[in-house]
Amino acid sequence: MLRKLTFLAVSAVIAFGTLSFDLQQKSEDPGDRLVGIWEPSNGRSRIKIDRIGNKYYGRVVWLIEPNDPDGTPRTDINNPNPDLRNVPLRGFRMCKDFVYQGDDQWSEGTLYDPNNGSTYQGTITMRDMNTLDMRGYIGVEAIGRTDVWKRLKMPSRKKK
Amino acid sequence: MMRHFLKLTTAAIVLTSTPVFAQTDGTADDDIDWSLYEDLGFEDESMKRYANAKIEGLSPAKLISIGYDFQGSYSIAPGDLTMADGTTVEGGDAMQVNSTAGIRAGFNLPVISQNNLVWQMGANYWNTSYNYAEAPTSSDNPLHQTLSEHGLRTSGISTTIYKPLDDTQFILFQGSADMSGTYGASAMPAQYLKYSAAALWGKRPTEKKQWGVGLARTYRVGELNYIPVILYNKTSANNKWGTEALFPARVHVRRTINPRNMVFLGYELEGQSFRMYENLPGFDLRDEDLEIRRGEIRVRAVYEFSLKNFIWMSVQAGYRINYRYDVDRLVSGPDIYRAFGLLDSPNYAQMNMLTNPFYVNISVNLVSP
Repeated sequence: MLRKLTFLAVSAVIAFGTLSFDLQQKSEDPGDRLVGIWEPSNGRSRIKIDRIGNKYYGRVVWLIEPNDPDGTPRTDINNPNPDLRNVPLRGFRMCKDFVYQGDDQWSEGTLYDPNNGSTYQGTITMRDMNTLDMRGYIGVEAIGRTDVWKRLKMPSRKKK
Repeated sequence: MMRHFLKLTTAAIVLTSTPVFAQTDGTADDDIDWSLYEDLGFEDESMKRYANAKIEGLSPAKLISIGYDFQGSYSIAPGDLTMADGTTVEGGDAMQVNSTAGIRAGFNLPVISQNNLVWQMGANYWNTSYNYAEAPTSSDNPLHQTLSEHGLRTSGISTTIYKPLDDTQFILFQGSADMSGTYGASAMPAQYLKYSAAALWGKRPTEKKQWGVGLARTYRVGELNYIPVILYNKTSANNKWGTEALFPARVHVRRTINPRNMVFLGYELEGQSFRMYENLPGFDLRDEDLEIRRGEIRVRAVYEFSLKNFIWMSVQAGYRINYRYDVDRLVSGPDIYRAFGLLDSPNYAQMNMLTNPFYVNISVNLVSP
């Protein structure tokens, strides 16, 4: 009996895991088109955008220079909060709290620039499936800068 | 047994579900294989990478700027003034100027900001009032009374276009149209606009260096010139030091205390040609054919820092060195091109001598994200 129940439980777990993975990858929620790996215009980093709850977050997954000249991983040395300056940049969540508004637009979020430790209000507009206009602004959208991000191919999972 | 089963199920669900929500702020997750993200091509293979307009560590661009410029005491010794009929008005005595001061305001906003094209438009207004120790009278050289009564103003529009050609090469174009003179509430006719431009080709070999070479049409030394220009921006490996240069217009060495506090040492050439446009009877210097060719070198130290978020303050102090403050009579065209004296050209209608004061300039700026 225990064997049977264990088998059923494991089956259920595998089914749940597969289902949740599929939901993440093939969701029909139009906002989920934002999910993927993107490269900002300067080509210095790559950002993986995921959905958590009903919001979208972007995390640094690759840096052209992952380490400081002394070989140690680069950290967020420009963060205005001294307690956070030892946080590694790779893995840092630089886009936060974006909510899909319809019409290929996400807003209500913030963008963080580790180069100067500044946080901007942001809007994201999907120009096409492979191109994003990431606009960081100060107070009003007119005063800001738009960076164009390009979608990268999803990595192969065979390495790990 | 049932309890054991529930425990097992719960543990399994928790363990398998966690990766979906595992990301936390700023946490480098040891379980992630970062190498997965190394060799990724664009989803759309026709896309290209382009050289970014900025380099790492560069001082932030000013979107909106409001400031005040103040030059300390100095003297102006006017030379003889050649009139239109060939007669001469004697230069007269040097007069003391207690201060030269005025507002400087400008904005520069992006119109297009894309990977393959950046286009900005801007406008500026500079006012210069001359505060003489003693008010000039009609017995003094007309230059003094003109400056004392009217001062000098410059207003203009500008555009900057940055066009990357590939992931390292770029073209930069800057152009402006300025109206400079003694004009007051009524603007001068558009025929007196002065057009400046610079076009450069450059490379951005690394994230911390960009350079370019090109040609400029400029009034920075007071009169029209065509000169070669060199762009050179570089940031040191540790981000503490840098160079920001558009030679010969300006060259600065930068010390970055942190990204919100920067100190610069260097110089800037400032200048413009000011039309004596006044429809009032009186002094000959108000003749519409006359222009003051003002060019000066400002050797300075600048401290720029963030007051709050994107509101920055810039404080500069230095020494203003007069390069030219001469007057041209323009009777056969809007400009006289001398090529630094290499070309045969008319003499100045008046050549003036200025001593050199210390100066300060303070501005509040909204900087670019």
